Amino acid sequence: MSRRGQLPGASPILIARELCKDYPMHGETVHALRGVSLEIRPGEYVAIAGPSGCGKSTLLQLLGGIDTPTSGTVTLNGAALERLDDRALTRLRLTKVGFVFQRFHLLPVLSAAENVELPMAEAGMARADRQARATELLGYVGLAGRSGHRATQLSGGEMQRVALARALANRPAVILADEPTGELDATTGRGILDLFRQLSLDGVTLVVVTHDERLAAEAGRVVHMLDGRIVSDTA
Amino acid sequence: MNPIRNLFRHPIRTGLAIAGIMVTTAMLLDMVLLSGGIERSFERLLLGRGYNVRVSPKGTLPFDTDATIPGASAIRATILADSAVVAAGPLLGAALYARRPDTLVTLFGYGVDPAAQAIYQLDAGSDLGPADSAGVLLSQPAATLLRSGVGDTVTLQARLDPEAAVAGVERRLVVRGVVHFLYDYTGQLSVAAWLPVIQDLARVRGEDRVSAFVVRIQGDSELAAATERLRAALPALEINSVGDMVARFRERLVYFRQLSYILGTISLGVTVLLVTTLMTITVNERLGEIATLRAIGVSQGSIVRGIMMEGAALTLAGGSLGVLLGVVTAKYLDRILTAFPGLPAAISFFVPEPRSLMIAALVLVLTGILAGAYPALLAARSPIAATLRSDAT
Repeated sequence: MSRRGQLPGASPILIARELCKDYPMHGETVHALRGVSLEIRPGEYVAIAGPSGCGKSTLLQLLGGIDTPTSGTVTLNGAALERLDDRALTRLRLTKVGFVFQRFHLLPVLSAAENVELPMAEAGMARADRQARATELLGYVGLAGRSGHRATQLSGGEMQRVALARALANRPAVILADEPTGELDATTGRGILDLFRQLSLDGVTLVVVTHDERLAAEAGRVVHMLDGRIVSDTA
Repeated sequence: MNPIRNLFRHPIRTGLAIAGIMVTTAMLLDMVLLSGGIERSFERLLLGRGYNVRVSPKGTLPFDTDATIPGASAIRATILADSAVVAAGPLLGAALYARRPDTLVTLFGYGVDPAAQAIYQLDAGSDLGPADSAGVLLSQPAATLLRSGVGDTVTLQARLDPEAAVAGVERRLVVRGVVHFLYDYTGQLSVAAWLPVIQDLARVRGEDRVSAFVVRIQGDSELAAATERLRAALPALEINSVGDMVARFRERLVYFRQLSYILGTISLGVTVLLVTTLMTITVNERLGEIATLRAIGVSQGSIVRGIMMEGAALTLAGGSLGVLLGVVTAKYLDRILTAFPGLPAAISFFVPEPRSLMIAALVLVLTGILAGAYPALLAARSPIAATLRSDAT
C-alpha cells in the first residue's frame, strides 16, 4: 500500500445531501432514509452505527451508487451520481469504490488471486500487472500463501480478507464495507478490525456500516443513525 | 467469470443437460441429413458414371414401368446427332431365368452397350467386349447363387411359356466378369449382356426395343439447351436431365422432407428449452453473486457475455457429442431403411452435406448463445441493492 496519512482538511471525497429513500413494502411505504446529509474527507475512517433497520446499509448503498435515492444527491470524487447513466456509474464503482460485503460474495469457482484480479481484469489491466497486484494485495491482507486456493477452500475470515483485497484492487477513492465482521466469530472479526485499522493508517478512506460497537470504536469518526436519520456524528 | 468452471459447479445437472442436448443434437443432425440426403444420394447415383440425361417412354421415368421404346437404333442416332451429346447408351431391362441343375432362378437382365453404359461397375474379371454376343456379367449375389465365376458358362432363358412352362429362347453365355449394379437393391440377382442378346431373350429384337437411354452431354452450360433440343427432336419420348429427375423425385418426397423439418424444428426447440431452463436455474441461484459483481463494477455486458458463453459452452459440449451420436444413429437407421425391398442399395437416406452441416452447427451454437441471453439479461438488469438485500435475508 502506497498511500499514507489522513487528509481531514481536504475537500470531501463523498458528499450526501438530504438523502431520502422510500421502499414500497406490503402495500405501504417504508421511509428507510429521511433527509441524511454527510461529508467524508479523504483518509477518514467513518463507522456508521445503529440498530438493525435504521437505514445504515441503505445509506451505504446510496453512497456507493448501487441504489438511487428517492430524493437528495450523492457526489463521489466530484461526480454527481444522479447524473450518471448505468454505464458511467458502473465504471465509477469499478474504479473509485471498493465494496466489502457481510457475506463476502467471492466467486466460488475462482481462486483467491483470481477473485482479486477480477475488478482489474474488468478495468482492462494487463494480465501480468494484475497478477502482480493481486499477489501484493493478498500479501497485504495476510494471505500470501493462499492465493491459489479456491474461495470454497478458505475460512470465513480468509474469505473476508480476499474480499478486502478485491475491494482494494483498482485503488479506489473509498472503501465501503457493510457489516464486514457480521459473519465472523470474535477472534476472526478481530483480525478484520486490525486490517481496517491498518488500511486507515495507510490513508485509505473507509466507511464501515456496523452494529458491532468494537468496530465502531476503532473508527476515527462514528455516525449514529436511528429511524433513517443521523442522530450523532462524533469524531 | 469462467464459463467452463461455472458449468461444473453442479456436475450432475450439467452432465444431464449435456446429455439432453446431445440427444436433441443427434436428432437434429439426423433430420438435416435425412431432409435432403436421399435426394443428394439419388443425384450422386444418377451422375455416378457421368451420364446426365435419361430418355424413357413418354410419361415415365426409367424403369418406372415395363413400357419400352421401339426403334432404338434410330433414336440413338438422333440423340448422337446433337452436337452437345458425347455418348448415348441404350438400356433394356427384362426378367430372365438361369438354369440350375434342379431349378430355375429368376434374374433381372440388363441389355447394354458396354461402351456406353451407366448401370454397373466392374469388380472382377473383364467387361463385355464390343458386340460381345457370348459374354455375360453377373452381380455378386447372382454369381454366388449360380456358383459361377469368371470363365464359367451360365444358361439364360426368358419368356416362359405359361402353358408349357418352358423357355422360348435359351442362351449359353460365358461369364466375363462380376460387377456391382448401381441401381440394384441388396441381394438382387442381376446379369448384364450385350443389348441384342437380351433383346433376343426378351423377344423384342425385331422391334429393336429398349427401356431407356442414358445420355452424356458435355458441359453443364449446354445441358439445359441440349435437353430442350432432344425434347424437340424426340417429342414422343420423355427426356429428363438428372436435375429434372431429382426435382421430380423431390416432389414425391415432399411429405418426407416436411416431416424431417418438423422433427428438426422440434429438436431445436427442445434444445432451446433445455439450455434456457438450465441457464435460468443457474442464474437464479447466482443472483446474489451477480448483484455483487455489478456492485463491484462489472458491466452488464460482461455478465451477459459470461452467461451466454456458459450457454454456448453447454451447447457446444452437448452438440459435439450429439454429432457423434447422430452419425452412429444415422448409420444404423440407414442400414434399416436401405434394406427395404426394391430400393437401390447405393441409395443412402442420411447423406452428410458440408453446407447443411455447417448451417446446423451454426444454428445450434446460436441457439445455445441466444437461449442463455434471456436469463443473462434478466440477471444483469436486476436491481443491485434489492437483490443484495434479498440475498442477505
